[in-house]
Amino acid sequence: MISSRERVGWLVWPLVMIGATAVLVDLRTGIEQSHEALILLLIVLGGSAAGGRALGFTLAGLGFGLLDYYFQPPYDQIAVSKPIDGVVLMAFIATAFVTTELLARTRQEKALAEARASEVSTLAEMGAETLRHAEPEGALEAITRQVREAIGAAACTVLPWNGDDAGAAEVLTGGGMIATERSAARAAIATGRLAFADEVGAVRTEDISTLGSAATAALHGHVLAIPLRAETRVIGVLVVRGDPRLVVDAPRRRLLAALGYYAALGVERIQLKHEAKRSAALENAQRAKDEIFAAVSHDLRTPITTIGVLAQGAALRGVPEAAAILEQSDRLAHMVGDLLEISRLRTGSYSLNAELNTAEDLVGAAVRLMRGSLGGRHIDMHLDLEAPALVGRFDFVHTLRILCNLLDNALQHSPQDTPVELHATREGPCLTFAVADRGNGVPVEERGRIFEAFYRPADATPDGGHAGLGLSIARGLAELQGGAVSYEPRAGGGSIFKLRLPATEVHDLSAERA
Amino acid sequence: MTGSLTAPAPVRTQSILVIDDELQIRRAVGAALQPLCDNVLEAMTGAEGIKIAASLTPGLIVLDLGLPDMTGIAVCQEVRRWSPVPIVVLSARHAERDKIDLLTAGADDYVTKPFSLAELVARVQAQLRRAAFQSAHTSMQVIADGLTIDITRREVRRDGAPVHLTRIEWLLLHALSQNAGRTLTHQQLFDAVWARTFGNPQQYLRVHVTNLRRKIERMPATPKLIVTDPGVGYRFEVPEE
Repeated sequence: MISSRERVGWLVWPLVMIGATAVLVDLRTGIEQSHEALILLLIVLGGSAAGGRALGFTLAGLGFGLLDYYFQPPYDQIAVSKPIDGVVLMAFIATAFVTTELLARTRQEKALAEARASEVSTLAEMGAETLRHAEPEGALEAITRQVREAIGAAACTVLPWNGDDAGAAEVLTGGGMIATERSAARAAIATGRLAFADEVGAVRTEDISTLGSAATAALHGHVLAIPLRAETRVIGVLVVRGDPRLVVDAPRRRLLAALGYYAALGVERIQLKHEAKRSAALENAQRAKDEIFAAVSHDLRTPITTIGVLAQGAALRGVPEAAAILEQSDRLAHMVGDLLEISRLRTGSYSLNAELNTAEDLVGAAVRLMRGSLGGRHIDMHLDLEAPALVGRFDFVHTLRILCNLLDNALQHSPQDTPVELHATREGPCLTFAVADRGNGVPVEERGRIFEAFYRPADATPDGGHAGLGLSIARGLAELQGGAVSYEPRAGGGSIFKLRLPATEVHDLSAERA
Repeated sequence: MTGSLTAPAPVRTQSILVIDDELQIRRAVGAALQPLCDNVLEAMTGAEGIKIAASLTPGLIVLDLGLPDMTGIAVCQEVRRWSPVPIVVLSARHAERDKIDLLTAGADDYVTKPFSLAELVARVQAQLRRAAFQSAHTSMQVIADGLTIDITRREVRRDGAPVHLTRIEWLLLHALSQNAGRTLTHQQLFDAVWARTFGNPQQYLRVHVTNLRRKIERMPATPKLIVTDPGVGYRFEVPEE
């Protein structure tokens, strides 16, 4: 390719050299030969600056001839009389060639740098354009337009793909794309590689790194499909179709690779937007459900109270069915309480009142609260009363509930004649409450599920009177205050449920005499 | 003067007022309280309850919180303006905040729904005993479960042996025993012990109570004298015989 500027150079500079020679010929006896050589060299430089390497070399050759013919004795013939003149000629041609070459190289590098700079600014513009769009769909449209313009493609499509998207599947199998595009897109999605399709639909693939590689060979094809990735997942495909063929040279390849990243970002944004919408809807539904639940549970308490109180009155009068009614209403009350608790946990409507509390106070309150439901059973307490009191910062009421639920669970799932043990200890940074029983323990395969709401062991009697919320509530309340409830099997048979809460250091107050 | 809280005095009162808008609850509660009084009075609304409380001066009031015309708290506050009559509240609300508000408004005790009649009767009985005791004595010495508290001498003995308390422990025990049978909220205990001190010491209330229990209780892990009202406060209890 020759630019118009170069063409002018080819016309002008040889004429300049010939003109200069004509002028100098008349003066050749008066000036030194080296001055003439310098003037000619200047013209060679000018020519190569204006017309490039080829013109420079041509002018160098021409200057060599002219210098020899007109300015070196014997004048007007191709001959050199003195050896020093030969050296001058050699110096002239060498200097002319070297400077021309250097100049040409500099120009080349400058051109390359300019091309790169414009590539970068194009990319930056495209990036800005795609990211500026408030709606990711608009950004994708901008990207496809950019690709069409930059590559000179007849068509460009970005197709989001999440594996089971019916819409995308439809596009891949039917409308929206022509057959060759579909084949390439399917291949790109399936392999995660660059896919090329020719006019008859034959597809070959290449590693994706080809796009960004430094190799100078241009990519050829009718349709090119670039898989779009988020981390390792293929989340879509960018399909470009030529008319009839695409020729993608190195700079355009880099451009395509970059646009591919932008397109992947756009697709990811679309997917995130949809996910956010979906989960917001789900969350609203869940919240509404939980709120209704809470209101209903609260309203249930009043009639349950009435039933219970009436049954107690009847029992006092000796009505035989009263005891059964009372028992059932107690069960109902218990379940409603549990449901209320779990719905409060889920709606996050719990207020936390974490204060300095002692393990002793908590254990005492728990055992006192459990008295009514022990039914002759026994809770063995293990607490070191000689050591300073164990202190932690926790919500007393919530923690009491956790402990009672764990004790209740242990009493339910262990034989009548075995005691349930309650240990309170300090374990490093934790205040640990361990509730141990001699029941059957929890089978390995069920251990992951025992803390789920409404979970009941496989062998539980269906009429156990518990909704299976106790452990779930316990864990929820523990986590709410930075603690944890965990299960471990007990040596010698049975279960240990551990409640861990952050412990606190308190200096010994018992000696304090303020 | 010596008064023993352990005496299982057969406390009766002339009349008990039950304020509840639900007929069945009123009847059942009334029937259960019959053995403790000569006469059970009934009121359906707060206004009616206040009127009866003023005119017939019952020995105790059982008050439901969910009244149609006014809040139970308002009834409490109104009655407290002119009468120290014991008030036991029936509450459907389980939040500790509500309980604290009730105690602060002047209620003496509360049971939460659904409750058992036996528990209610026990609470009512305890309040009657407390009221009878308080009107008859200014307790200079309190004896409970082998523990002797001499208020004037600031002396505490467990089964005759002296018990050494820190100043804060003494102030706690003093406040609690002077209000025996009644829950003092954490705030009320703060006020009684630390009065106008500012800063951090209040946060150690529960640790001080634990230390105090270790000195005065027979079994500190299952205390019988100082009982925890979870999330609300502590109560010096009269051990049941």
